[in-house]
Parts: sequence; C-alpha cells; structure tokens
Amino acid sequence: MKTTAAARAPGTDLSSAGTDGRALARRRLVLWLAPPMLWFTAFMLVPYAIMFFYSLGSMDYVDFVPGFSPANYVKALTAEPYPDVLLKSTVNGLLTALLSSVVAFPLAMWMAFGLASPRRRALVSILVVLPWWASYLVKVYAWKTILGAEGVLNTALMAIGLVDEPLSVLLYNRFAVVLTLTYIFTPFAVLSIYAQLERIPRSLVEAARNLGATDGEIFRRIILPISVPGVLAGAVITFSLGFGDFVTPSLVGGPDDLMITNLVVNLLGVSMDRPLGSAIGVVVIAFSVLLLMAANAAERRTQVRF
Amino acid sequence: MQRPVEYGRQGWLRVSALVVLGFLYVPILTMVVFSFNENPVIGLPLRGPTLDWYRAFIDNEDVLESIVNGAMVAAGCVCLGVGFGLPAAIALDRHEFPGKAFFRRVVLLPIVLPGVITGVALLNFLVLVSIPLSLWTIVLGVGTALICITVTEVFARLQQLGRSQEEAAENLGATPAEVFFRVTLPNISTALWGSALITYAIAFDELAVTYLLTGRDNTLPMALWSMLRREATPEINAIATTVFAASAVVLVAGLWLSRGRGEQVQS
Amino acid sequence: MALELVDLVKAFPGADAAHPAVDRVSLTIERGSFVSLIGSSGCGKTTTLRMIAGLEFPDRGRILHEGRDVTLVPTSERGMRMMFQDYALFPHMTVGENVAFGLRLRRQRGRHTAGEIDRLVDEQLERVHLPGLRGRKPAELSGGQRQRVALARALITDPEVLLFDEPLGALDAGLRRAMQFELKRLHAELGKTFVYVTHDQHEALAMSDRIAVMHAGRVLQYATPEDIYFTPRTRYVARFVGSANLLDGVLVDADRRVGRVRLPNGSVIEGSAPEDAPAGTRVAAVIRADRIEIRPAGSTDAVRGTVQERLFLGTHDEFLVRLDGLDADVSVHRPTGTGGAISVGDPVGLAWQPENVRVLSE
Repeated sequence: MKTTAAARAPGTDLSSAGTDGRALARRRLVLWLAPPMLWFTAFMLVPYAIMFFYSLGSMDYVDFVPGFSPANYVKALTAEPYPDVLLKSTVNGLLTALLSSVVAFPLAMWMAFGLASPRRRALVSILVVLPWWASYLVKVYAWKTILGAEGVLNTALMAIGLVDEPLSVLLYNRFAVVLTLTYIFTPFAVLSIYAQLERIPRSLVEAARNLGATDGEIFRRIILPISVPGVLAGAVITFSLGFGDFVTPSLVGGPDDLMITNLVVNLLGVSMDRPLGSAIGVVVIAFSVLLLMAANAAERRTQVRF
Repeated sequence: MQRPVEYGRQGWLRVSALVVLGFLYVPILTMVVFSFNENPVIGLPLRGPTLDWYRAFIDNEDVLESIVNGAMVAAGCVCLGVGFGLPAAIALDRHEFPGKAFFRRVVLLPIVLPGVITGVALLNFLVLVSIPLSLWTIVLGVGTALICITVTEVFARLQQLGRSQEEAAENLGATPAEVFFRVTLPNISTALWGSALITYAIAFDELAVTYLLTGRDNTLPMALWSMLRREATPEINAIATTVFAASAVVLVAGLWLSRGRGEQVQS
Repeated sequence: MALELVDLVKAFPGADAAHPAVDRVSLTIERGSFVSLIGSSGCGKTTTLRMIAGLEFPDRGRILHEGRDVTLVPTSERGMRMMFQDYALFPHMTVGENVAFGLRLRRQRGRHTAGEIDRLVDEQLERVHLPGLRGRKPAELSGGQRQRVALARALITDPEVLLFDEPLGALDAGLRRAMQFELKRLHAELGKTFVYVTHDQHEALAMSDRIAVMHAGRVLQYATPEDIYFTPRTRYVARFVGSANLLDGVLVDADRRVGRVRLPNGSVIEGSAPEDAPAGTRVAAVIRADRIEIRPAGSTDAVRGTVQERLFLGTHDEFLVRLDGLDADVSVHRPTGTGGAISVGDPVGLAWQPENVRVLSE
C-alpha cells in the first residue's frame, strides 16, 4: 500500500484543485499577468504590427495600397534627407547623454559623499527634481529668452563690454538644441548617477585612502568604475529623450536642426506619406529595442555587488 | 599639519555642484522674472513689475479649461499606471513564466521609445478601428507609455522587500488576497505613491503623444504650444509659473507627508 | 509519525538537472521530536525545510503529515509554522499586530473575540519574555527581540509542527547560546515537533534528538547526535561534525566491523568500521582531536610526530602534530593544565583507544 502510494506522482492523489499549491501559484500568476499582458498586446503590440503593415505598402495619391515591399525601408535608410536626419538625431542624442552625464556627475558626487545627513540629501534631491516639474515648453522657451539676440546673455555680455554686438551663434543652431536638451534632461542623469554612487560604502573610500590612494586615484580607480551602471542608465534615458525630442529643435533650432521625429510628424501630417512615416517609425522602434537590450547587457556586465 | 579634507567635502566639488544646481534654476528664474515684466514680448528690457499677465491668465478660459483637461488626463494615466503597472511588476518579480524576457522588454520599451513613435503607432490603430480622438485617447496613449514608470518603481521595491514577509504571512494561514492587501500593499505603498506622482507630472506635461492623439479638447501643453507658435506674451510665463508653484507645493507636501512612513517601512 | 519525507527530489529551473538541489531525500520525523538538518550552504537543507513548509513543491516524492499526503498542499493550509532566517516581521505592524496576525485572518474569523486575542498575544509575549513590548514597531527592537517576536507569532496559532530556518544565524554568540537553551526549553514544554535547519554543528548537537547531515542534496546520515558524533558513516560527516582528523590509508583487513588501516608510513591503525570492506580498499582512519593522548616522545610510542603549532584555547590546548613519515598534520586537544610541558618543535608520542577510531571508506 505504502509503496504504491509513494510511486504515484505528486498531485495525482489530491482531488480538489483548491488545495494544490502549484495550481494556486499558477492561478495567481494568471491573475497578475493577464490584465497587463492583454493591455500591452492590444495597445502596443497590435499598433506596432499595424505600423509594420503600413510600412510595407505604398501610397496612390491619397489612398493607401497594401503591399509587401521593402521600398519604404530602402528610402528611409538611403534617400536624403532621412539617413542624414537619423544620423543627426543620433548625434544629438549622444551629445545630450554625454553632456548631461558630465554636468550631472559633480552634483551627484557631492550629494553622495559631501552630504552626510539623509535630510540634506533628501533636500538636495528635491531641489534637483523641482525644475523638472516646470512646464517643459516654457523651459525650452526660457532658453530662447536667454540666448536670443536681445536675450539675457547677450545683454549681459554687452553690458560688461565682453562683446560689442549681440552674438548670433547662440540661438537657432545645433548648439542651442543640444544645450537645451542637456539642460532639460540633466536631472535624470543626476538622480541615476546618485542612486549608484549612494550604494558605495564609505569604507571603500576609507580603505583606498588607508592604502595610500590620492583623491584623484580614488575617483579614477574606485568611484568612476563603480558608477558606470548609473551613468549608463541615465545616459540611455537622456539619449532616448534627446534623440526623440521634437519640440526643442522647432523652438530653438535652425531650419537644419529638425530631428527624425519632426520628419515623422511631417510625413504623416503634411505629406500624407503614411507608409514612409511608418517605415521610419519601425526603424526607430527596432533601434530602441536594440538600445534597450544593449543597455541591459552593459548594466549586467558593469554592475557590482556590495 | 593640515587636516585632510573628508572625501566628497572638497571645496571645488561643492562649488561645481552648486554651479550645476544653479544651472538647473536659470530658466526657472527667467520664467518667473519675465512673468512679472510689463514688456509684451518675452524678453529684455525689464519694465514693470506688473500682475497684468496673471490677470490675463485668469481671464483666459481656454487655458483654464486645458488645465482641468490636463489634470483629468493625468489622473487617468495614473489609474492606468497603477492598474496595469502594479500587476505587471508583481508578475515580473514574483513569478516565472515563458516569454518573461519578451514581456519585460515590451513593458519597458516606452522608456527609450520616442513619444512621437508611440503616438503615430496608436494613431494608425485608432484610425483603423475608427475610435474618434478625444481626451480618452490621450489617456490611452500617454497612460500606456507611462505604465513602465510604475513597473520599474514597484519592481525595485519588491526586489528590495524580498519574499519572506509574504511567505511568512501565507505560512501563518493568510489567503492570497490577505497576503496582498495586508502585507504586500502596505510595503510597496510609498513606491506606488512615488510612481503615481511621477506619472502624474509627466502626463500633465506630455506633448509628443498628446499632439498626435488629441481631439477637440486640449491639455495645457497643447494650449501653450499653440500660444508659443502664434504670439508669445509673458502670459505664458505667468501660466507656467503658477502651475509650477502649485505643483511644487503639492510635490513638497506629498514628499513631506510620505517621508515618515517610508522611513519606517524601509528600515 | 508526525512527518514522513519520501524520496523528495527538487531541481530549480535553470540549474543542473543531474544535480538537483534536493536529491532523493527520505526522512521520518517522530511526533514531538527535535530534528535538525545540517550541512554547508547549498546542501539542500533549506529547500527541504521549505518543501515541508509548503513554500516549495517537490518535482518528485511525497510528504506525509500524520499519514496525510500534504505534498502539494499550500503552506497556508498546513498548520506548520516557520521561523524565517530574517524573521520576516511585518515592518508596518506593531509587535502586538505581528503576533496576532495569524488569529486575525479570515480563516480564524469568529473563533476568537478581540479580548481573547489580546490575552493570547500577551500570553505569547510573556512566554518569549517580551511582556510590555506589544506597542513597539519591529524597527525599534534588537535582533534578539525580533527573533522572539517571530517565535511568538509562530506559536500563537498552536501549530503541531514548527520549522526553523537558521533562526539564530544573525545573533551574536552570547545571545545564540541563550536562545538555544530557550528553544530547548520550549520544545520540552510544548511537546511539538521541531524541524531545525542550521549550518552550525554545535547548535544541532546541543539541541536535537536526531540530526540529518546533508551534502549535495542528499542525506548522508540520519541519527542521534551521539551517533553522528562518535560513529560517523562517511568522511564528510566526520569532518563536518566536530574536529576529526582524517588519515588516508589502505585497508589491511576487516572482520566483524573492525578494520585495520595501513598508513603510507607503514604504521597500522585499528578501528571500528560501518561495514566490512574488502582488503585493499582506500579508506580513512578518523580520530577526534579530543580522543588522542599526547605526551613527550618515549621509546614505547607506536605513533610519533613533531609539534608544529600550539594554540591556547582556554579550556584546552590544541597541538598540530606532523606525523613522522607522513605528509599529514594531526590536531590534538588536551585539557589545559594536564600532562607535561610540550612546546613547538618537541618530538611527541600519540596514543588512542581503538574504539575511538572509525575506519570509513565512503
């Protein structure tokens, strides 16, 4: 009797499903997973699939003709101005990510190491986040006010006699676009780098000092390597936001500074070329997926455990 | 002998940190100062001070309406974030299932995907199934894209929390619902509030997705956008300053209120 | 029979399927006994305990509780309470709310009045020596106090079986000792079945009725503390429990569970063996450090060596002796203040009784 019972697989002698712990766990999983899965399928995956479908078709004057042709992708990647703009957006994204990381680092360092009390750290964190709560559009416009020919900066420069006539290189060009994007997204970089630096135990710095390291060496050989995942996490966000922005270029950029998202909006709104717009959209989605995967891999490789 | 400076307390570090912090406030200061400037163009010279632009704002019914619209849209986005982000985070952290890596990637994609692309994709979809554009479609688009905020925040808190509390509750005889409401939820409530706050702020200020999915009713960024493109007067600064001040008060008050509880739960 | 584990197998997804975390574990745990599962980290002891608790489910095998198959019964339905390694107190509840948690659940609704619950909570807090702390939050308690709250919380629903997952791991040495006595007292007082997981062999020896020594997912030996200590069945058990010296050699002959081992230097050691292996088997002679007599070298000594190190350990001195003609050190414990003076570098003679030697082939 005992041996036959033992030979049976577990679960077979349990009648009611309500007392089966594994079934219970499965039911719980379905309960949590089903709603978000259905939602994301309906309102993300299906729209992306539709976008993909459009990208393979073509336009006959104002009517969409379904098809199965890579022509739009070829156009998106080879016909000017698209590859050029795609490259320019990427460079702008990279510059935004790089500059905001550089600008953010000293502030994050100071928060993590220079502020001893948690109260002060919380206070400075709030001060970092607060500007980000002001209207994005108005902040971008504020840079226009600052950088313009009769703007705050030029007026100040002329008042102290540093320049004789207003500098026109400040506004309506790439410099203004990248500066503004960097400004807008720096808080993300600060918080992300700070979150990583905060994890570094103080004893690490003390041990390094005890071993004879100078402050510079501590920074280069301890703080900087450990900070990499935080810098990367911040850079991925700032890059994406900079890459995909369409407001800043149209407010403070020149006519040549339009980015890829401006083109997509124009293709859909003005030119009514939905297939080409969709193809660029799919290219950007693919690009983003790759970026996310690369960021994940890099994070895993560079993250340290304490 | 000179006493060595504690690491992180070097003078140059503090100065550069404060310079960066100042940099973050330069445009804010510009925004505030010019909201009181009599000059009808946003710019120098300074004349004034005046409250005219605030008066214009209060009389501008379109803008007031757009603020109410935006507040409702943002609230809707928070509901989507909590309603779908919380279960998604729990499924991702507490369970194993086939396709988990793919699911995670889909959920987190909006973090790196430009809003315009999200908007275009959804616009195609909505046109195809002939759903008319309205404030609801903005909630759908913006809210879906922002679910990732709740997912990442709650997921991080769940990881930090570990499973033993839930296991202990279950071991003491709690049903799944009791485990969730009496143990899990109280422990992640600060993360949930935090993500709701962030979601609300981003949704209230969102332009890219909104631009594509808006119907007849506008949200505040849309109203400002059209004002900026027509003729920008300091009324814009007055509006933004008022909204900023209100959000700052709410934000600081909210953080203050949640602080005490958050500390206790985390220690 | 309170608990019976039959051929439990559990492999975690993604791990090596050929080496499951728990590999064909079978144990019978008497009602009211105190059983410890010991082994180094990763040996499968915690996974076994979690399967008993219903927090994990085995891939194969069964768990019987009082003859009832509970293999797949969720933990909430098992009536076995677990003490977690990190205590798992609910930080948002007071001590009193934590302890009362099990009584305030839906399944208990209507069984106790609020006054009764209050009384029971006080009673449990009294039992674990924490009266008057019910209003505190867990964050305001010391490690030892948290541990007692977790214990009170587990005891309040009067479970038949209590499971412990290294509950004393985070406490300092003094507190650990105190809690060991405390748990031993509670066990005697309550008469409940205790299953206790630890990596500390002293703790297991001190408290248990029976000990299961686990290694690589398997139970190597399941016996009383005395048996585990004095008659280990495998080299791993001998090494893991207490400080045993293992001298490798070849079996000369074995008869009626007495084996003779030849060491590489030619000397022969006699001892008891769990089974009679054929001559020529590679075996180890196992001798506990406190069962070896050490004295300044004399002409009659069969085993000789040179003292390499001497450590003063309070109650005893520990000598590390390099045996002549052998590439092996033997550790010897001698009660402080007995015998003649021995210093590092001295030639010494070692002696022991054959009944204190185990000859193990596994």
